[in-house]
This record gives sequence, C-alpha cells and structure tokens, in this order.
Amino acid sequence: MTLTASELGVLSTDTYAQGDPTTFGLPLDHFDYIRDNEPCFMQEFNDPMLIEKAWVVSRNEDIWEVDRNQQRYAADRGYVNMWKVTPIDPTMGGQPAMLTSDGERHRAQRQVMSKGFTPKVVAKLEEKFREYAVTIIDEALDKREFNFVQDIGHAMPMEALGDVLGVPPGDRAKFFSWVDTFAAPFDTRITPSFDYVMEAIGNLMVYSTELAEAKRQNPGDDVMSRIVAAGADAMSEDEIMGNVALLASGAAESTRTAMSHGMHEMMRNPTQMKWLRERQSDIPSSAIQEIVRIASPFTHLVRTATEDHVLQGQEISEGDIVLMLFVAGNFDPRAFDNPREFDLSREKNPHVSFGRGPHQCLGKHVASLEMKVLFEELLQRTKDIQPNGDIEYVRDAYSRGVYNLPVTLTPA
Amino acid sequence: MKITVDFDHCEVHGDCVVAAPEVFDIGDDDDVVQVLDDNPGEELRTKVETAAKMCPVAAIKLGA
Repeated sequence: MTLTASELGVLSTDTYAQGDPTTFGLPLDHFDYIRDNEPCFMQEFNDPMLIEKAWVVSRNEDIWEVDRNQQRYAADRGYVNMWKVTPIDPTMGGQPAMLTSDGERHRAQRQVMSKGFTPKVVAKLEEKFREYAVTIIDEALDKREFNFVQDIGHAMPMEALGDVLGVPPGDRAKFFSWVDTFAAPFDTRITPSFDYVMEAIGNLMVYSTELAEAKRQNPGDDVMSRIVAAGADAMSEDEIMGNVALLASGAAESTRTAMSHGMHEMMRNPTQMKWLRERQSDIPSSAIQEIVRIASPFTHLVRTATEDHVLQGQEISEGDIVLMLFVAGNFDPRAFDNPREFDLSREKNPHVSFGRGPHQCLGKHVASLEMKVLFEELLQRTKDIQPNGDIEYVRDAYSRGVYNLPVTLTPA
Repeated sequence: MKITVDFDHCEVHGDCVVAAPEVFDIGDDDDVVQVLDDNPGEELRTKVETAAKMCPVAAIKLGA
C-alpha cells in the first residue's frame, strides 16, 4: 500500500457514504492496514467544522485501555467526537453531560441516570416494547414493500426513549422531530444546514427544563422524575439539559442504525437468517451483540490526554486528542475469530460499540431489549424478507446511519 | 473465591448483574451494586471473572 494511514480516509464522509455493502459498508482492508502498520497515527482534518487533529487508535485492546483509563484519557477537557461543536461540550458553548464529565461529577450524574437503566428496570419495559413491536409489524405487513429504516427502525427507539425519559405522549411528535434533526447533521438530505441542528438542540434543551419542572410537580416512574428527585447536587439544571441532549442523540439514531445493518446482513446471509428464525421465540444475546458489533453505530469518540506518554510507539503529549476508532476495533483479528464473518452465535465478542469504560452506553440494556423484541416479532410474523433495492448509507463519518434499506416482506 | 467490590467507584452500570446474576444484584433504589454472595463456589468462577472484566470502572476484585 502506497498511502500512509492518514491518507486512507478512515474518517472521511465519502468512505462511509460510499461504503461497500459486501463488507458491512466499511473499509475493512484499510482498517487492517492501520491496525497492523500504524496502530496509533496522527490524523489531520482540515475542515472548519471539525477538530484540528487527533491520534487515531484502532486496535481493540488499545481502545479498551483508552476508554477505561479515565485518569490518563479525560472526557471533560473538550470535544466528544471529530466535530468541533457538540451540544454537550461546555468548552464550546454546550451544556455539560455525563459524556463530558469525569470523576465525582461523572459519578453523581451517572448514578442517578443508571438507576433508570439497570437490567431489572429494563426488563419491566418488555411488555410495552412488545406492544410497540406488534403495531410496527402490523403496519409493515400492510405495506409489504418499504424502507426498513423508516418503517421498522424508526418508531421503536423513539417510543422507548419517550417512555424511559418520561415524555408525555402529546409531546412526542415535536420531541422526536428535534431528535431526528440532529441524527445526521451533515447529510443535507436529512438536515438542510447546521443551523437547523442548533435550533433543534436549543428547542430540546428548553423543553428538557420544562419537562423537569413538570416532573417536580407530578413525578412519575421515569428517568426525569428520578433526576429531579435526586436534587441539584446530583444534577444541575445545566447538566439536565446536557444529559437530555445526550440521551436523545444516543438513543434514537444508533438503535435504528444497528437494526438496519443487522437486517441487511441477515438478508445477505440466508444461513444466519435461518439460524435466527430457528430461535425466533427467544433471540439469544449473542445475536444482538453480533449485530451491534458489525453495525458499530458510532465510528468513534475522542478523549484528551492528561499527561505525556507513549502509546504504540507514538509520543502523546498532554492536551492531545486521542480518537478511539471503535469501528476498526470491532474487526480486529487480535480480538475476534474470523472478524469479517457475520456470526450470530459468536461467543467471544469483546466489541467496543457501546464503549467499555465509565462512559459506556447508558442505554445498552434498553437498546438490546428493543432489538430482541422487534426482531422476534418480525421473524415470527413473516415467512420471508428480501431486499427490494440497494442499501444507501447516510453521509456521515461519525454516525453510521442507513438512509435507505428497501425490503419486501412475505407474511407467515 | 473471595469477591471485593470498591463501592466508591460503583456507578451501577449493571454489567456484573448480567454476567453473574447469582452473585450481583441491583434493586430499584440501590445506589451501588449488592453482593449477594461474597464467597461463591468455584462453579461460578467463569461468570464472576467475566463480571470483573466487564465492570466499566474496574470495581470488582477476585481473591483466591
């Protein structure tokens, strides 16, 4: 290979927008090259909307280390991903959230939030999720031919977020429209300009303080009620705004992205589809985790080095940005047997799609349950699912959204 | 095998409950994880080791 790692475009929009559907939409050969030859390299971005530069870390084991070592790799010194501005970055005018806090501030917020997302609390949501799934599949079976992303992937994560957070049904349409706007801020088919993104985030933050006040008056069994009950020491007004924006951006887009990539792979792999159909009454966790691995809904997150140190032979200085390229770590042969194989029965699966450290995805149990319930209903009520056109990806190098996944259902 | 948990670090992520429900639990109002059995039998070693490895804040330690 004549190009160096920084010239391969592993963080370029075009790479993901024009991805090869036979390799999960990903530049897997390039990922192999950087992991083998330049496992920590300096990427410069040269775009006013993006950060200036970052050290890109691509091996699975190194990503675990960066994500888990919050003394050395801080989340509270600015920036979340390759974008220069994010709504939860207080150093760039945003509001603080869990993902941009460390130490005691992080723990105070996370403990309140986590209680609404424990395995036991999430298990209680199953009945309600199944009702949503039944309605979604009813409508899909009426249509027979549709875009899977919109007609199956969209509704469940939105309603789930509404339930968990405590958004009243009457407010959900406007709430979801704001969330949709910042799902893909740089794809002009979805969001005409970045101004719309900022406006949607502003609206969402104002709404979150109104929702907090409403829950102070009339508490319910939801996360916002837990937040306000815990008081200002646990979470300030600014942190409430930041965390609602964080939850909204984490919940909706990523889950439908995972389901859409998973559906696409199952249609490409009839043996895997058959394997899952044989288990459609109770889809095993291995299947969900494999879908989450190959989807890698967010390609990366960044941290800031808190001290000078050496990583994979590179001298990292305090203040340098270190970028964890999750999507490359999820196909690392050092960590996975046959990483290019889509294997729903995969046992050893140390994927980093949810992260592995203190900032690990808060909604991972919720998202897993949503996917399990929705795929169970879909498979039980169909005889066959076939592609009805080519997959199209969202134009974005951070969020691996699917723009169009045309499918045809045959009812059971 | 002896289990110790650093409760000052626990943020109730819940990974240990998924990995080893026989040993760890988080009730609705718990601020930190509950250790149901701090000296479980060898048959649970694999599960408990997974719980320790998965813990995002590395709060779980295993003794002999």
